[in-house]
Amino acid sequence: MSRITQVIEKIVFSNRKLVVAVFAIATLFLGYQASQMRLDAGFEKNIPLNHEYMQTYMEHRKDFGGANNILVSVCDKNGNIYNQNFFDTLKNVHDQLFFINGVDRSLVVSLFSPSTRFTEIVEGGFAGGPVIPADFDSSNQRALDLVAANVEKANIVGRQVSSDYSCAMVTAQLLELDPQTGEPLDTLAFAAELEEQLRGQYENDDISIHIIGFAKMIGDVADGAKDVVFFFAIAIAITAIMVFFFCRSIMLTVLPLLCSVIAVVWQLGLLTSLGFGMDPMSILVPFLVFAIGVSHGVQMINAVEKQAVKGIGAKRAAMGAFRNLLVPGGIALLSDTVGFMTLLVIDIGIIRELAITASLGVAVIILTNLLLLPVLMSFLKLDEDYVNKFDGKERKSEAFWNVIAACSRKGPASIILVVTAILFVFGYYQSHQMKIGDLHAGAPALHESSRYNQDTFLITDKYEVTVDYISVLVETTPEACTSYSVMNAMDDFQWKMENVKGVQSSVSLASVAKVVNAGYNEGNVKWQVLPRNQQTLVQAISRVPTSSGLLNGNCSVMPIILFMEDHKAETISRVVDAVKAYRTDYETDDMKFSLASGPVGVMAATNEAVKAAQTPMMMYVFGAVIALCLISFRSIRATLVVVIPLYVVSVLAQALMTYLQIGLTVSTLPVIALGVGIGVDYGIYILSTKSLELKQGATVQQAYLCALRERGSAVLFTGITLAIGVSTWVFSSLKFQMDMGILLTFMFVVNMLGAIIVLPALARFLWWKRNDQGA
Amino acid sequence: MNKAFAACIAASVLSVNAMAEQAFMAPLVKESVLLDVDASEYVVIVGERGHILISSDGETFEQVEVPTKSTLTATTIQGDNVWAVGHDAVILHSADRGKTWEIQNFEPDLQRPFLDVVFFSAHEGIAVGAYGLFYRTADGGATWQSERHASLLAPMDREYLEDIKEQDPDFYQQELNSILPHINRVTPQDGILYLAGEAGLLAYSENGGREWERYEVDYTGSFFDIRPLDADTLLAVGLRGNMFVMRDGVWEYVNTCSTSTLNSVFVASDERVVAMGNNGMLVSAQRPLPVSEHDPYASTSRCEPAKGIKTRQVDDKAALLNAVQFKGNTIAVSANGIKIMNLK
Repeated sequence: MSRITQVIEKIVFSNRKLVVAVFAIATLFLGYQASQMRLDAGFEKNIPLNHEYMQTYMEHRKDFGGANNILVSVCDKNGNIYNQNFFDTLKNVHDQLFFINGVDRSLVVSLFSPSTRFTEIVEGGFAGGPVIPADFDSSNQRALDLVAANVEKANIVGRQVSSDYSCAMVTAQLLELDPQTGEPLDTLAFAAELEEQLRGQYENDDISIHIIGFAKMIGDVADGAKDVVFFFAIAIAITAIMVFFFCRSIMLTVLPLLCSVIAVVWQLGLLTSLGFGMDPMSILVPFLVFAIGVSHGVQMINAVEKQAVKGIGAKRAAMGAFRNLLVPGGIALLSDTVGFMTLLVIDIGIIRELAITASLGVAVIILTNLLLLPVLMSFLKLDEDYVNKFDGKERKSEAFWNVIAACSRKGPASIILVVTAILFVFGYYQSHQMKIGDLHAGAPALHESSRYNQDTFLITDKYEVTVDYISVLVETTPEACTSYSVMNAMDDFQWKMENVKGVQSSVSLASVAKVVNAGYNEGNVKWQVLPRNQQTLVQAISRVPTSSGLLNGNCSVMPIILFMEDHKAETISRVVDAVKAYRTDYETDDMKFSLASGPVGVMAATNEAVKAAQTPMMMYVFGAVIALCLISFRSIRATLVVVIPLYVVSVLAQALMTYLQIGLTVSTLPVIALGVGIGVDYGIYILSTKSLELKQGATVQQAYLCALRERGSAVLFTGITLAIGVSTWVFSSLKFQMDMGILLTFMFVVNMLGAIIVLPALARFLWWKRNDQGA
Repeated sequence: MNKAFAACIAASVLSVNAMAEQAFMAPLVKESVLLDVDASEYVVIVGERGHILISSDGETFEQVEVPTKSTLTATTIQGDNVWAVGHDAVILHSADRGKTWEIQNFEPDLQRPFLDVVFFSAHEGIAVGAYGLFYRTADGGATWQSERHASLLAPMDREYLEDIKEQDPDFYQQELNSILPHINRVTPQDGILYLAGEAGLLAYSENGGREWERYEVDYTGSFFDIRPLDADTLLAVGLRGNMFVMRDGVWEYVNTCSTSTLNSVFVASDERVVAMGNNGMLVSAQRPLPVSEHDPYASTSRCEPAKGIKTRQVDDKAALLNAVQFKGNTIAVSANGIKIMNLK
């Protein structure tokens, strides 16, 4: 190991100018690439496409549309829609939405669409027509009265017209591919058009426009994500001040920050070169990369200073620091990288992207902060004054380290371990109460007070529709809807599902056919049954168009749509479990009840994927950390003292999630892997000195004090720097960033404390023969 | 007689298969589609999917195990005996106030539902339904005999049938089976049986339904209920809010200004009746009922109901099917389940 280090050191430091030149050119190139970076959001990235449910979803998406729809509620502020201004606006909104690129034009529905019809039963049979007649004139009060009567007959109050008659709805489905370019639809551009062309044009003193749906949500997330630039600036400023206080030198402050910024530039440039965009959901990663870069940079200036105190000049000090840190720093960064890479096992596009983005960024830091930084520092002139100043600081901190070093004495160590054990037991219990999925109503990525969530609450409040529904797809043979036994099985199954707690109501071709059958029998509810006679059944079904979304072209696939009270994970899993239990009573070789489609179907799959990924992810990330520790320290004891505190902290982080009601979701799942990957750095830095001392025969106490002197201030400083960097996210307008900020801050700080308090306490007992007398 | 025998055999064979079908005990049964209610010292409610609920206090309702999933459309109480009828020509009987049930008839292949049932005693009763379906029992439902009543037909249809009866007896039977109107309701009162049915059918019988006399009424839509209000007054309600009253042998139109089909009549007091129907409509009328000219083409949007008639809708607008008075409350059944209200 040390021979390789020497060789690299020799090559690098004898070609310093060349190294700097290469880095400069690469930075220019990647900087250009990074400037081409675009925000990139897609619906499918957020879902586990290979999950069984999503396979069903993808297979039938063409027939039934997906979960990717847009609801636009146009509301009259005076509380009554029946006036000229409202109907003119509604028509404009309908037309405008129809023409926005990316909307599936055959599926735009509102009062103005020709498919919105009413039917009434009269003595001779049925009478009916479009709710808004072709010759509709909004300035004529009679015409408005007629429409009002038709709306009642069409039975659309609660769906297309709000229950209090103050709003009307325009709905649309989105295409996955842009019909003009054939490329995947640019969701963010689409969301911006919605905002400009609908809300911007038509919202005024009389009319309010409320838009919900995935595309709008992700658009709002992207807008919120732009705050990130601001947070980034604050984080850099705070970090710069802190680094300055740490090293008391402007040059030494600028260099690690510069190298860290270079790392971020490289990361973004490389991503663009590889063809990735930046997803709003993983926009935090550059932050992390910067923070990690700074923390390793600080280790480097710390090491250079320690060398410089010996009065050996900047170049040799830099070389010494490089030699000392290449291995522990490399191992630490490698374990970060591996920690992030483990996220690749999770089969959700966006988490994989996060894994690639983050591991790329961290790998880049190995080059910029372990290699470029010492090279740059070797050009510095460290004068006598500075060296002396630093020396003085060393002596002041000595007293502090002596106090901390007591952690490795028997008494304090015992107390520390007991407290840790109690915390662990408590945390372990709590962590099992951790909820999967989204725990709150509305879009979980956004705050409850956000416009989007307020719109969601308004729409779910004023209409009987809910955005929380799951479809069970009945897959059977062509023309199966004309078979009494198939329809009866669907109807029976549907009734059992309606009785499951959490299901509010439901609809399927079978339930609609029953109502139509009653309609054919003079609207007599006593005939609201599925006719056994095939002709009669066909007659009933023929009135249900495929655009209803209740059957495909040859009715071999028919969804049973279950509307849910909420999308809490326990509600979802209760309903999904009920589907799995009941369907066994009805399934035959020719008829399958497949899960799932609809927004809640997607959530069900995501929840299951996240839940299933949690344990393997933890195993992989800890496996990687353990393997790397074993390789670098060649000691089981050393590995244990690093890994045990790390594990306790990750369990406590889960307990914190329970306590703060943060569910395990696509955005919070990676946090623990990130936290462990970065948290291990502290232990590795402390232990790399400590195990060296131990090998040379020092006692645990001596070795620890030595490690504290060598690395302690840098570790403390690193923990605080990282924590400050991520804690600014608490002020984010995005809920998930806030959650991630809280969790990462917790993991960084507590892991740091674990490394300087719990690690020595554990070491005191693991190396039980190597203690000071009386310690 | 042969045919009735065959039906009995078929019923007993099929009932074995039907035994495998048990109604699902559902938490939401009280909010399901419930179609009829009857009460004496206890209450029985029947509805879709073979749902039967019983109650002794009118407040708590208990779903009981029933050996069918067929939708039940009507029920009647006679002492401790209860009968319920419905789709698949199912007839159920309970001898213990509705706690346990047995199948007396089940003919899914007939593809015809029963729509009402009445019993004159513990032994004698009739069940009626679609396409003139008419079953009679004299032994408490142990055996049921099918009857066909051509006298329920409109005069022109009857003449047509008489014609072919002579020429082609087989074809006559076939036509008789399909031409008869739906019988929606039978109401016994003081030894007379009143009947309401499809396409303007109102009739009465003085011998327990063996022979029928059609009333003449100027309406061709369906009637869903007929009820004597006193010795001289009959009230009939039906499709699209139509209400007719008969005094002195003449049926006259009562304008309700509602286009919601009326399913049943509830006699609230000597002064007031309430008709209930689809869209949760309640039409309350003071007696004596005001009559007016029947104009089928009148616009409903500028309609003034006659004096003493008030309409209102229940909140959920669910179709109201029937109601009974029990222990100070009105228990109504609707497409959204049980509704406790006060119509008295």
